[in-house]
Amino acid sequence: MSRLELTRIPGIKTALRSRWPQLVLRVIALAGFALAIVAGISGTPVGSRNFAIVFVWIGWWALLMLVAVPLFGRGWCSICPIPMPGEWLQQGSLLKPQGKGLGLGWRWPNKLRNIWLQNGAFVLVALFSTVILTSPLTSALVLAAFLVVAVAASLVFERRAFCRYLCPVGGFIGLYSQVAPLELRVKDSSVCAAHTEKTCYQGSAEGYGCPWQVFPPGLVKNTYCGTCMECLRTCPHDNLTINLRPFGADLEKPSGRKLDEAFKAFIMLGSAMIYSAVMLGPWGFLKNAAYNIGSLQWLVYAAAFLTFIFLALPGLFYAAVALGQALSSNNAQVVRVRQRRPFSTHRQAFIAFAYSLVPLGLAAWIAFSLSFVLANLSYLWPVISDPLGWGWDLLRTAQAPWTPYLSGVTPILQAGVLLVGLLWAARTALRTPAAPGARPVEPRQQVIQALPVILFCSAVSFGLLGLLVA
Amino acid sequence: MLKRLRSRLANGGWKWGIFSILMLLILISPVPAFSAPPADRHIKINASSFEYDPGVIRVNPGDRVTLELSSTDVTHGIAIDGYNLQVTAEPGQNQSLTFVADQQGTYRLRCSVTCGALHPFMIGKLHVGPNTLLLKSILIATLGLAVMIWTGTRQ
Amino acid sequence: MKAEAIARWLLILLLPVLLLAALLLRSQGSSQAVELRARMPEQGGWTPTDMIMSAGQPLLLRLTSDDVLHGFAIGQSDEPAVDVFPGKMTELTLLFDQPGKYTYYCTRWCGANHWRMRGTIEVLPNPGQPDPTQVDVPNEESLFMRLGVELDGHPHTDLVPEQGRPDAHRAAALGIAPPESYLVPEYYRTHSPVEVFTALRREPFSASLSDQQVWDFVAWIWQQGTSSEKLAEGQELYTRNCAACHGTSGAGDGVMAAQVAAEYANSGHQSGPTNFTNPQRSLATSPAIQQGKIIRGGMGTGMPYWGPIFTEEQIWSLVDYLWTFQFDY
Repeated sequence: MSRLELTRIPGIKTALRSRWPQLVLRVIALAGFALAIVAGISGTPVGSRNFAIVFVWIGWWALLMLVAVPLFGRGWCSICPIPMPGEWLQQGSLLKPQGKGLGLGWRWPNKLRNIWLQNGAFVLVALFSTVILTSPLTSALVLAAFLVVAVAASLVFERRAFCRYLCPVGGFIGLYSQVAPLELRVKDSSVCAAHTEKTCYQGSAEGYGCPWQVFPPGLVKNTYCGTCMECLRTCPHDNLTINLRPFGADLEKPSGRKLDEAFKAFIMLGSAMIYSAVMLGPWGFLKNAAYNIGSLQWLVYAAAFLTFIFLALPGLFYAAVALGQALSSNNAQVVRVRQRRPFSTHRQAFIAFAYSLVPLGLAAWIAFSLSFVLANLSYLWPVISDPLGWGWDLLRTAQAPWTPYLSGVTPILQAGVLLVGLLWAARTALRTPAAPGARPVEPRQQVIQALPVILFCSAVSFGLLGLLVA
Repeated sequence: MLKRLRSRLANGGWKWGIFSILMLLILISPVPAFSAPPADRHIKINASSFEYDPGVIRVNPGDRVTLELSSTDVTHGIAIDGYNLQVTAEPGQNQSLTFVADQQGTYRLRCSVTCGALHPFMIGKLHVGPNTLLLKSILIATLGLAVMIWTGTRQ
Repeated sequence: MKAEAIARWLLILLLPVLLLAALLLRSQGSSQAVELRARMPEQGGWTPTDMIMSAGQPLLLRLTSDDVLHGFAIGQSDEPAVDVFPGKMTELTLLFDQPGKYTYYCTRWCGANHWRMRGTIEVLPNPGQPDPTQVDVPNEESLFMRLGVELDGHPHTDLVPEQGRPDAHRAAALGIAPPESYLVPEYYRTHSPVEVFTALRREPFSASLSDQQVWDFVAWIWQQGTSSEKLAEGQELYTRNCAACHGTSGAGDGVMAAQVAAEYANSGHQSGPTNFTNPQRSLATSPAIQQGKIIRGGMGTGMPYWGPIFTEEQIWSLVDYLWTFQFDY
């Protein structure tokens, strides 16, 4: 197991355990968030000159998609400002536990303990994204709505219910964090077995029980760990650590595979493809259709969008998976057809193979983001001097002109990213293990069952290449 | 370290070595010389909110291209990726941009004057010769997939 | 306890103080200024549209656009136009010596209704200054008003040059000249070219000339009434204000032409901007009619009225330029 315990490096453990660096970053993020809302509501309606649009959809998005998620997994969640006001109210303090806070502390309903709500929230934002991304007022209202919902969730439910079950951003950050080279895990599970209090989950005087409702000894994948570091603070045996690990280590773990996560992969992949066509393509009628919400064109666009991500893409993928299963069935062995296939049901196979779409989707989003981020990054400079478009010039950068960066190199970067994503997706497909406890699969079967899936991934990649680079 | 490397090579890592060499060759291989002689091209582009018409322009490498920008509703601009050239035009006052298309490839045209809400997404395309990046990418991808499948599931 | 207190102070410091500072900075910057917001006419145009100020007192304007590139200029003023950029602030100080009502207008095309994007600035007299409404200023009537010409007719003639555009240089090369009376601006401006042609045709000096040569003299007469500076000014005015509808070649095929034609299709008037390259119509039009049309506008045809925007001199330069679509100078 090639893992490097980063907490062994002197200084890292202290920095992570201390609440101050995290608090400072959180407060800065919250200040930026508040400024974005204020700027969106009272600043200029011109998106490219408003802090709300430029810093959220170019600055923060670039940071998230290009750095935070691929390298730090759910690192952003550790300092995200959206849940903070609610959490501070719920906990009654900014640092260590001080006593009782506010809130009803209800348990989140069992039926909703999945990411379907987050899937829905993301699709909702995605359908209106053309307006949200270009209208400062709309952006500000959406952000304010997130804040209100997050605070309400903290005051009604226990722990970080908004982050775990409602946040549309968290849905895909969680899924893609399986790719990241960092993970938070227990060092020695036998120590946990002997520890009865389980302060990592229950909380102690040093800190709160996991706000993400994750049981640290049971942490196998990154998906739901928000790297808030509470468990590092509460564990009396110093049994938790941050490991440096190979990229994508979580993708090959067969446990915890669910349909809601599989569909999240399709939602992300499908929306990256649609955005590449609508926003970065030369077709004005598509852009106008996506923008004129309520019009007939928009209804057609919305219907096509939903059909593509919920029916067409998963449907094609299901066909590919079924074909793979059929082709790889081992005739030499048992009588019943089902038992000859590597996966006993197509549904199982569908869910398992959907994780190949995680590196593919992340690559698609990085490639898509590179284009508009590099082209428009220069909007950041005037906006930090004049965030509301009121004619200020705080840092003397208000007159900086729009300059696309690396415009000649961007297609090469995009192609490279998509290539890596495709090869990695293929690798994940080839290594998709059967369910735990199932009959071991012959290497040849393993390869054949993955071939139609690889074909699907190639078609998607080449399609994205066509949209972004061709 | 050395033992691991040796075992990797023995297991099939050599296949990846071949792939790497082939990939490098593909990457650095020069584009086949284009046969068509360079010509003078005059292309009128109508700009409206938020598209260019024609939205896709094809020229040959070496062509002397004059883009005449005609805005039809508000002031628009064209900025050419890769070439870093710009031109702006107000309705009724067409402006032209002349350049030699010496860089082969596909380049996005972006509007350079804020012309409304969807201004950052007002995009056109300029094809100079065949898109070798696309061809090479597909080639390398296919090769890589082939090697990956050939290597199978072994480490 | 202490750490928690520090943390809370940190929160209090960074958040509300920032927002407060923002609001304070705003009110400070604009204490004396009037913020003038520009939007496309369909979205409201200028806000506020009408302003009031006093003569001799400067007014600081802070101009910004909420959507596309606009421009600001005062009608019949020498002050250069100022661009109004989306999301940026441009400051401009206005100072009027004379009281009166001034029109300001947008100077960058912002859609088919661009010309409608205007507003007024009422400049009140200072105490001690004569009230403009009580001062007897001789109201100089424009030529077309003095003549009472019919602006909304459909001028047409079938008598047009048969062998191409009339060329003033060809006429000059002949070495003869028509009678002086034809060169008086009051004369040719009040007559259409075909009327002048018919009159010249009857003159003794043209007895041995062909029809085309007489047409050349018509062009020559028109040329004598203008200069290259006026033509250059006219061309600039035309390019900036007229070409979008009437076309750079004057053929009524500008980028806005189709939209204008569609908008006024049911008005009963001609469809689309006038084609100045059509000799059957243009040669039957007198410069006075053109001046009138420009000043008064098209009365429900989509042709803007430029009276408050251009000076009489500018309009004559523009009219002079329009004739270059028919004549070669």
